[in-house]
Amino acid sequence: MAITEIIFWFLSALAVISAIMVVLSKSPVHSVLWLIAVFFAISGHYVLLNAQFIAIVNIIVYAGAIMVLFLFVLMLMNLNKETEPQKNLWMKLTGVVSGGCLLIILISLVRQATEIKGKIAVTKTGDIGLIKVLGKELFSSYVVPFEISSVLFLSAMIGAVVIGKKD
Amino acid sequence: MNQLVYLIPLLPLIGFLINGLLRKSLSKSVIAIIGSGVILASFVISLVLFFQVKSSGGQIINYFNLINLDKLVIPFAFQIDQLSSLFLLIITGIGFLIHLYSAAYMHEETNEHYGRYFAYLNLFVFSMLLLVMGANYVIMFFGWEGVGLCSYLLIGFWFKNDNYNYAAKKAFIMNRIGDLGFLLAVFWMIAKIGTVNYTDVFAATSNFSSADITAITILLFIGAMGKSAQIPLYTWLPDAMAGPTPVSALIHAATMVTAGIYMITRSNILYSLSEVTQHLVAIVGLATALFAATIAIKQNDIKKVLAYSTVSQLGYMFLGLGVGAYTGAVFHVMTHAFFKALLFLGAGSVIHAMHHEQDMRKMGGLKKYLPITHITFLVGCIAISGIPPFSGFFSKDEILAAAYAKNPIYWGIGVATAALTAFYMFRLYATTFLGNFRGSHEQAHHLHESPSAMTIPLIVLAALSVVGGFFNVPEVLGGHSSLHQFLSPAITSEVVHEASHSTEYMLMGISVAVAVIAIVIAINKFSKKPELQDAQGFAKVLENKWYVDELYDNIIVKPLNSLGSFFKNIIERRGIDGMVNGVGKLVNYSARQLRLLQSGLVGGYILFMVLAIIVLIYVWINDNHILSFFYKYF
Amino acid sequence: MPERAELGVMNAIIFSALIGVVMMLGGIVIKSNAGIKLLAIILLFILLGSHLAEYYDLFNIHIQTHGMLAKSRFGMFFNTIIISLTLLYVLLSGDEIVKVGTYGAEYFALIFFSLCGATILSSYNNLLMLFLGVEIMTIPLFVLTSSEKKNLKSNEAGLKYFLMGSFSTGILLMGIALYYGGTGLFAIEASKAANEAQQAFRILLPLGLLFIFISLSFKVSAAPFHFWTPDVYDGAPSVFTSFMATIVKTAGFIAFIKLFELRSVDMGYSWKILLPLIIILTLLAGNITAVFQQSVKRMLAYSSIAHAGFMLFALYNPNDFGKQGIMLYTVAYSLATIGTFAVLTKMKDYTYEGYNGLAKTKPVLAATNTIFILSLAGIPLTAGFFAKYYMLASALKESTSNLWLVIVAVLFAAVSVYYYFRVIQAMYFKDGNAETTEIKPFFKTLLIIIAALIIVIGLMPSLLLDLFYA
Repeated sequence: MAITEIIFWFLSALAVISAIMVVLSKSPVHSVLWLIAVFFAISGHYVLLNAQFIAIVNIIVYAGAIMVLFLFVLMLMNLNKETEPQKNLWMKLTGVVSGGCLLIILISLVRQATEIKGKIAVTKTGDIGLIKVLGKELFSSYVVPFEISSVLFLSAMIGAVVIGKKD
Repeated sequence: MNQLVYLIPLLPLIGFLINGLLRKSLSKSVIAIIGSGVILASFVISLVLFFQVKSSGGQIINYFNLINLDKLVIPFAFQIDQLSSLFLLIITGIGFLIHLYSAAYMHEETNEHYGRYFAYLNLFVFSMLLLVMGANYVIMFFGWEGVGLCSYLLIGFWFKNDNYNYAAKKAFIMNRIGDLGFLLAVFWMIAKIGTVNYTDVFAATSNFSSADITAITILLFIGAMGKSAQIPLYTWLPDAMAGPTPVSALIHAATMVTAGIYMITRSNILYSLSEVTQHLVAIVGLATALFAATIAIKQNDIKKVLAYSTVSQLGYMFLGLGVGAYTGAVFHVMTHAFFKALLFLGAGSVIHAMHHEQDMRKMGGLKKYLPITHITFLVGCIAISGIPPFSGFFSKDEILAAAYAKNPIYWGIGVATAALTAFYMFRLYATTFLGNFRGSHEQAHHLHESPSAMTIPLIVLAALSVVGGFFNVPEVLGGHSSLHQFLSPAITSEVVHEASHSTEYMLMGISVAVAVIAIVIAINKFSKKPELQDAQGFAKVLENKWYVDELYDNIIVKPLNSLGSFFKNIIERRGIDGMVNGVGKLVNYSARQLRLLQSGLVGGYILFMVLAIIVLIYVWINDNHILSFFYKYF
Repeated sequence: MPERAELGVMNAIIFSALIGVVMMLGGIVIKSNAGIKLLAIILLFILLGSHLAEYYDLFNIHIQTHGMLAKSRFGMFFNTIIISLTLLYVLLSGDEIVKVGTYGAEYFALIFFSLCGATILSSYNNLLMLFLGVEIMTIPLFVLTSSEKKNLKSNEAGLKYFLMGSFSTGILLMGIALYYGGTGLFAIEASKAANEAQQAFRILLPLGLLFIFISLSFKVSAAPFHFWTPDVYDGAPSVFTSFMATIVKTAGFIAFIKLFELRSVDMGYSWKILLPLIIILTLLAGNITAVFQQSVKRMLAYSSIAHAGFMLFALYNPNDFGKQGIMLYTVAYSLATIGTFAVLTKMKDYTYEGYNGLAKTKPVLAATNTIFILSLAGIPLTAGFFAKYYMLASALKESTSNLWLVIVAVLFAAVSVYYYFRVIQAMYFKDGNAETTEIKPFFKTLLIIIAALIIVIGLMPSLLLDLFYA
């Protein structure tokens, strides 16, 4: 087993376990911390794929900015066990079962997919994830969606102001 | 000129709208001017169009697509050719005279009703023009329905009288029965060849089986039976007398009843391909002619006599159509339009003078009080009796000659009918105009000739009744059969019958002689001592119109009523209502259950979505199995 | 025209985004509600003008889009329709929009951004643009839904919409990722060689399409992904519900058609099972549940689900009848819905009882509302009839074996008459004193114009369709 493979399995296990912990943790603060662990694990995968830029951005934006914001919000709201809404046990159970079914179906399907069967991920090689190449692509072939996404952010910003500002 | 074609129907429509919408605010003279003016304008355009067609032939003018569904394209198009231009002249020409006459005749009505009357009249002419001008069966059907509607409105014009409303309803229902046949024929055509344009249909006759053609032509003929009052759908026409007299003139002479003749003439190519239908048309026509003539003999209402004579004359025309003498039928439509309009308007003049008295037993000796009406009426009577050289002689002779060529028995019955026609017309004439006046003193005191707006149309029509026949003098009498030549591009399947000149002279001689004898008998019998008592024995059967109305009542109306009450009480109450309520309950129940799914909880919604995704993926994986399962069982 | 596809960026996209910004900034300067509404109307006219300028090749901005957008007659015509409908909507309900809260200018700006998303959806040629279009269109709606801050229902609806919308966005993204995994492309118009190569890809591509199908079904509120619709439509301020139920929903269908026009083949047999399945479920959920509602607003929410069921028929024959039909349906359904919602916003009471006796107090409102409702029910002589006809015909055109589905749809249309006519019944045949807010003559005139349009299109649908082909 090459070192890459060992790291891959380690990161994958970390991501899955952390994700499950996000859902299972009783305390919201713990959930957020587990989520940060998930993001780190995924960033590790990006690095394995030689996509350093995305890996860094993922850490800065998600693990850094957004998650810190989450933590602040949670602390300000001062959530604790008493205020946690009681959920129906049956509801939880059916949720787990149906989600599990979906997972199993998807996994079995993707395993059957002849188009990717026997293919392995390209690690360490390829330059598509490098900042220089990515920048060129983004500002040539994908310039239109790149620009148009500004409309999306603008409307989201206006929305935040409209909803958030006191009347 | 072609740019103006659309004006011909549009002008009456505009007249209808103006008179209909502004009937309360316009004065009577303005209403009359608008109502008659638009028809006159249409007539002038038609006249120009007629000469244009005469010199350079007909054409089809497309405006827009009325219906455009997949392969079925039904254009809104007018076909202006020899046949339609001739009918345009008759409709607008006679229509105008009737409008003019109405302006005086209806003057006693209030402003509002006067406007309503002219609006209906214009709409009637508009519908008829649409019927004649359309270049396909669907446009014709629009007009066809339009005249049916207008006849309903006009027959029931004095809607405060219930009997008149019944008459209007009767006309409408009888027409609807015929319309159903027409509609089915149109659908049949669409189903078989996917087009209803005349030119396309006639070009595609080879795509029809002979059974198709027979079915289509018979269905169309059923439509014609309704519109043109043939056995068994004729009973509405005599009852249609309930409307104002000029309306009767319009229905009987220029419009409506000639629609059936026009339609069959227009479809002459189809009819000539079906021997069965031709025989059927001829026999129905002949039977109607004879049957109606017998009834007319014993009627005492002046308008009823004329009404039955119309039915009888229409039967003549159908006989002509049935034996392939399409031009003869059209020719008879034309001459009949002249003299029947004349007779009705003359009768109207008499009724006007007699203060709405229609029973001719109370008339008599009107000759000296109504000189113009008398003379013109006499002209009309002679014309309809077929005395040369009046117009009726030529057209009737043409049909009879063609009937003789087809089958001498047809001819024999035709001549007998002609004799009856002459007899009852002169019975009418003698009872009304000759002898002594039998009305009340008050009526005698008020007897007067009608105003000039009424007599001028009479004079014009009388002149036309005299000379109308010369448009188509047969070769045997030294003419050129000009109408034949004119119509030959539009009527391509005319049956040419060759008979020796001596035979034709003989036929003419017999029919004229028979008519003259009938006239002499009638005048002798009725001028001195008219029948004033109620009829006895067989005459009573005739007077009661062979009890056909009662027969229809017993075999159709009553069973239908009892069937209706059966359906209402048993089938509907027990069966349908139960079923409908059951469905309603089911829907209500499932609505209540489905509503429970809408719990308002986001978690629940997302759970459902996930389940649905699983199901959809499952369906997608097993698509082959599911499809083969469905194919196996369905 | 491939070179046009490369170059086509639509004026409508650029202008609607710019105008949104102008609108927002205008809110700083203009303080009065009337002024804001006027500005919005003027800007909408400018937007319509710029779009028409491109439509008639007078003026347009050329940008190299690298195949991200494709200009098509269909998309352009659809844009004309939705911009005009928005204009009509603002003219009719502009007063109500500025009355919802304190941010009138921002509401209009958000509507413009949403419209920008809709125009992207009518011209996208790449799944990235599909994603952006869907998001740009819906994110402003989350805000508009919860804009009535004092109203708990509005807040709840906004949050629900946001949560479930995010869920469906996740599915959309997953679908796009699978699509990319299967083909290596984001473009929906793949080259022929790529298409042939895809014959071997039996799982990822169709699975991706299935996920996109599910997500778009959510956006157009097709069952069983419709659960958000009644709650959100009911909770949102009525004026914005009207916008969501018409322009936004039909834009979703355009996105649907554009994708599956080209790609339904790749779904294989399952397409023939999934589509009727979804259609029947949608018709069932919409029509049957609508029967039991007490509030007209909620009934209209369910009826919009039912209409989605009819519009899905367009996917059967997306080349020919379906496209004409969806165009007709967009106009017929949107006109009627905008109209009937405009009347609804004027009512004091949204229940059926609230409409009792409207015919006596406000005859014009009642008469026009009757026409809108008749059109929604698909009664002949109104535009709704031909819209439904074209939809059902497109299914029959694809194959006559779909007859059973058409019959089912007609039966459900019959059910819909029941709940629609309850409104007419309340207005005309029940005694009551329906109360409305103040109604201006201009408003009435507009209602009459819309009703007249519905009738005209109902009599001659070819008027509209000829414009499409002209």
